[in-house]
Amino acid sequence: MKRVLSNKWSIMVFVLPTVVFFTYIVIFPIFKTLWYSLLNEIPAKVGDASYFSWLEHYIAMFTPGRRNPFPGAVVNSLLYAALSIFVQLPFSMFIALLLANGAKGESMYRNIFFIPVVISSVVVSLLWGRLYKGLLPQIFESLGWSVPKNGFLGNPQTKIWFSFIPSLWQYVGYHMLLMYGALKSIPEDVIEAATVDGASGAKMAFRIQIPMIKPMLKVCLSFSLIGSFKLFDTPWVLLERSNRDLPALSMYVDMFSNHNYSYASAQAIFIVLECLVFTILLNVVFSDRDERNLRRRKERV
Amino acid sequence: MKKKWSVGKVLTQLFLIIWLFLCLFPLYWMFTMSLKDTNEIFGPNPVGLPSQWLWGNYASAWGSGGRISNYMVNSVIDTFVSLAFTSLLGFMCAYGLLRMKWRGQKAVYTYILLGMMIPMHAALYPLTEILMSLTKTHWALIIPYVAFNIPITILILSGFITNIPYEMEEAACIDGSGIYRTAFTIILPMMVPALITAAIFVFLQVWNELLLASLFTTDNVRTLTVGIKQMSGQYQTDYGSMGAGLVIATLPTLILYMCMSSQVQKSLIAGAVKG
Repeated sequence: MKRVLSNKWSIMVFVLPTVVFFTYIVIFPIFKTLWYSLLNEIPAKVGDASYFSWLEHYIAMFTPGRRNPFPGAVVNSLLYAALSIFVQLPFSMFIALLLANGAKGESMYRNIFFIPVVISSVVVSLLWGRLYKGLLPQIFESLGWSVPKNGFLGNPQTKIWFSFIPSLWQYVGYHMLLMYGALKSIPEDVIEAATVDGASGAKMAFRIQIPMIKPMLKVCLSFSLIGSFKLFDTPWVLLERSNRDLPALSMYVDMFSNHNYSYASAQAIFIVLECLVFTILLNVVFSDRDERNLRRRKERV
Repeated sequence: MKKKWSVGKVLTQLFLIIWLFLCLFPLYWMFTMSLKDTNEIFGPNPVGLPSQWLWGNYASAWGSGGRISNYMVNSVIDTFVSLAFTSLLGFMCAYGLLRMKWRGQKAVYTYILLGMMIPMHAALYPLTEILMSLTKTHWALIIPYVAFNIPITILILSGFITNIPYEMEEAACIDGSGIYRTAFTIILPMMVPALITAAIFVFLQVWNELLLASLFTTDNVRTLTVGIKQMSGQYQTDYGSMGAGLVIATLPTLILYMCMSSQVQKSLIAGAVKG
């Protein structure tokens, strides 16, 4: 039995094809991107003194200047992250709490709120594009509000904000569902005990329910953060082709329109690093808090 | 006696209904747009039900001008071939990594799961170099779709595969069944629910993917997402057909969701860690 399960040949047959394939298509390209980002240009001039540029592209990326949109793009992605964390997540949490606390029609609402999540982001973006062009201006006018000059997506200062709205709207249902699931798995007796102690409504939510679903909040937060650094589809569909107002857009334009492959590779590596750093940061913040709380509880006892 | 309807409950319902409306309105708008002509959309009736139900919009999007039918076939092929390979490779790899016993299995498992952290953007240009020669075929998309979805598949399978008792293999072994037969005829059928969970997640990822699809497809293998994006540029004057195209592209996922909503929700919760 043991011999069968540790037969080297069959292990290779099971594991090796996938590992080789995965390495070739996922891992190997990343190291290649890293390598490219250190070169002066691609195709590289072998033997030339300017073969390597080392960190030059990374420095150029963050050298302020009117013709360098990258710092602004990073700021925009952080703004999206902030919107997602401080508006979208609390809103989703509010809905999740209402539903988990037994609002009438709980499962019907849950199922319908989730619909936007399964729809392709291209369809969502195109629909919102039409809303911005056709319907919303009419509604605004009939309410007597002023429509931005050149339409919602025409003003260079504000169009990025309007390009954020569709994907914020789309993923409320996702966060709602994640939080709802976690809220529902809080043991019944915890809620009962808190009710006996006089907790209800907001107090119950902030003192009992939200602290108890912290692991899921971490998942939601990292989904928001990583999603905002990688944000591409919606703004790409909604904004003009040469737009570079987000890191992924900037990378895309430099890669496939300007053919500046090595510079674009540096931007790609920056996006990966940003995702990694924030993931680690999130882990540190969440684990530290939990440990501290545990220690405090122990001290009290 | 407790009051049946308190102020709080009414406000809750009001709030939920408003959000329900905001969730469904774009969809309603898409469906009605697909049945109107351009004059009606921009004219007197942008929101209401169509005055005439122009099913012809679907014909023109599907057939001659829109070529949605081609895109649909391509999307179906790419999606199902990708699903078949991710499921097969994912299952085999999960079996070898999590059921069999060897040194270094933990390390390889971690190595593959790390792949989940990596955004596709980071591999884009080298992938272009690898796949450029394939852009006239479906493989240019299937290959990266399979590779990038293997980690999440293995993660979803891992929770199930480690819960199967080893007596299964022992009994099979005593009966003289070889390891491959045991894996594929005894363990695989037990894994079907987990495989479905993973497959739904991968289906939604692949069906809705835009970035790679826009780079690695030439005209005859275009998928739906790229196709309707192009249509929206091309059909600046015919919004009815564009609406029909959007509806056609959305229907498969909507139908899947309506038929098995709780299963779809479960899949997406399981895949949430992917980010």
